[in-house]
Amino acid sequence: MTKRRILACIALTLMATGARTQEPPAPAEDTAAAQDTGTLLQRFSDDPDRFTQTDGEALYRTTCQACHMEDGRGDAGAGAHPPLADNPKVASKHFVAGVVMTGYHGMPRFGHQMSDDQVAEVTNYVRSSFGNDHSDPITPDEVADLRAPEDND
Amino acid sequence: MTMPPFNPSRRQLLAMIGQVAGAAAMYQAMTSLGFAGESGYTGEPDLQGPREGRRVLILGAGIAGMAAAYEMRRAGYEVKILEYQDRQGGRCLTIRGGDRYTEMGGHEIACDFEGDGYLNPGPWRLPVHHRAVMDYCRKLGVPIHPFIIKNNKAFLHSANAFDGRPQRIGHVEKDMRGHVSELLAKSLHQGALDDAVSAEDREKLLEGLRGWGVLDSDFSYSVSDDLGGVRGWDIRPGGGLMADRKPSQPVDLSPLLQSGLWEQLFGFNSYSFEPPMFEPVGGMDRIADAFAREVSDIVQLNARVTRIAQGEDGVTVTYEDGGRGGTVQEESADWCICTIPLSVLVQLDVDCSDAMQKAIAAVPYASAFKVALEFRRRFWEQDEGIYGGISYTDLPLVQIAYPSYGFLSDGPAVVQGAYDTATGGRTFTYSWSTMTPQERIDAALALGRRIHPQYDAEFMSGTSWVWHRVDWSLGCYGQWTEELRDAHYKTLCEIDNRLVLAGEHCSHIPAWLEGSLLSALDAIKRLDQRENA
Repeated sequence: MTKRRILACIALTLMATGARTQEPPAPAEDTAAAQDTGTLLQRFSDDPDRFTQTDGEALYRTTCQACHMEDGRGDAGAGAHPPLADNPKVASKHFVAGVVMTGYHGMPRFGHQMSDDQVAEVTNYVRSSFGNDHSDPITPDEVADLRAPEDND
Repeated sequence: MTMPPFNPSRRQLLAMIGQVAGAAAMYQAMTSLGFAGESGYTGEPDLQGPREGRRVLILGAGIAGMAAAYEMRRAGYEVKILEYQDRQGGRCLTIRGGDRYTEMGGHEIACDFEGDGYLNPGPWRLPVHHRAVMDYCRKLGVPIHPFIIKNNKAFLHSANAFDGRPQRIGHVEKDMRGHVSELLAKSLHQGALDDAVSAEDREKLLEGLRGWGVLDSDFSYSVSDDLGGVRGWDIRPGGGLMADRKPSQPVDLSPLLQSGLWEQLFGFNSYSFEPPMFEPVGGMDRIADAFAREVSDIVQLNARVTRIAQGEDGVTVTYEDGGRGGTVQEESADWCICTIPLSVLVQLDVDCSDAMQKAIAAVPYASAFKVALEFRRRFWEQDEGIYGGISYTDLPLVQIAYPSYGFLSDGPAVVQGAYDTATGGRTFTYSWSTMTPQERIDAALALGRRIHPQYDAEFMSGTSWVWHRVDWSLGCYGQWTEELRDAHYKTLCEIDNRLVLAGEHCSHIPAWLEGSLLSALDAIKRLDQRENA
């Protein structure tokens, strides 16, 4: 899916909601809801095969958040999705970037669907959010050095 | 005229081979003919049973755990199941109106369906070659009905093709067949395939292509009444003095190729989705319920396993009664069959070999999600003539599945409005999984209305399921690769002293009920052999 199609999709959503709201006096929340839906749909990548978001937060919101949650605190029941907040393992940038690329235990890998820049961005986001304040960001070159050869397909 | 060749039926052939060469050769021949190799299922497991009282503790009351319990108890073992949830059935479940589920992160999934429609979050259709599932449905009295896997009236859709207008599956399929037949006929006429096709075969092939592709006398794929009879009509043949019939107009080859819709057809080639398929009447959890009827007296619910300890002669399993933080209890047995998903098991304290520890830790769990939407009326049937089946799109919702039950009924009905898994390699399932239950419904509506504009007027309520937000599976299914299988699969399935693992993750049919059943049947056979060795 191209950016243009996402935009067209948002435009359609806005137009349709607009049309519906023209008959009775337009309640402001309908337009707001349509804008929210447009923002929501941007969480999908333009390319079905690779993530196309570029900044760390957007990448987190469309991948990691599924398990580690909006606040980075994960959750636990029979099994647990570990927290990224207050987690000493997050101190190592190499560990975080490595886990993003290769997966860990039940967690799937993302290395084949993210570029070095994207892995660096999302790693740095995780290590500087949710109360984390690690001042040594990882660079895309460092990510490239960590990469397993089979990820470059 | 030549004599017709001796052409025995497959049964006659097998009987001949069996008589002449014995059962092993017959089995080999059966495999070649595609009978036996499809599934490792060979009927009831035929266990010898224990020589003296033997206790088997099964972890997990999903399909694998319950099938193992059912068969082992029949063979004379004393069996108990520990189950984390307050229900049986594992990933084989159905969501109906009135159901509530709190997923990880504390989000509540509500299902407020008013009609009798439902969502099967996990397995939702049964291939006939999944012979263990079919046989247990028969034995346990689970009625099934056809699941329409391919409906030529359903849509293929691309946001970028044909101005976003969905195309009928049958049209795309028949147009591709027609164009390819025309191209092949041209090549044959030009002599381009003379090396590959003898002159005799060439005439046969041309004749066949004309019929198969519905080509005209010039071997061209073009509009005709004959084509109308195959592809359908713009004006259907009527009665009395109704307007003359008018055949439909095929789509040209180039736009069809450029649309990408042709590739969406390839999914129908999969053996897993070969028609006919079936589903239990009333929801997939009818299968879970049927097993539960057999074994619920030996299931302890709300038991969260924390440790599996092994000694020389037995296992001791520690669990929390009442869930995480509950009262710590222990249960001992001679054997343990553990069906806990690896994603959860890797977080528990398990006594087993280093190699098995590595295997348990090695397998990622695949992302998968579903959204179901209830509408006031069956507009897909009433407006679009789509009775069951699945439409495919390159939008992130990937597919819309129409109910294979309740046809023609008035009142609300439920479609599965979005579904994908990580198996296809797409990113979308991860993004859906990050959304709140309400956001998933909003997104499914905003995308789906581009295929069915009736969504806006007819929508009532929706529900959803995200497998990575389920604390007892932490994902949908074991996402094996060939490399992982080479390194770990055998170890994972071997009996480790007093412990054996089972479930779809211990099968070559991940994510399917058949995989969990075959894994359980194989595990208990090997345990029984070990017991009687």
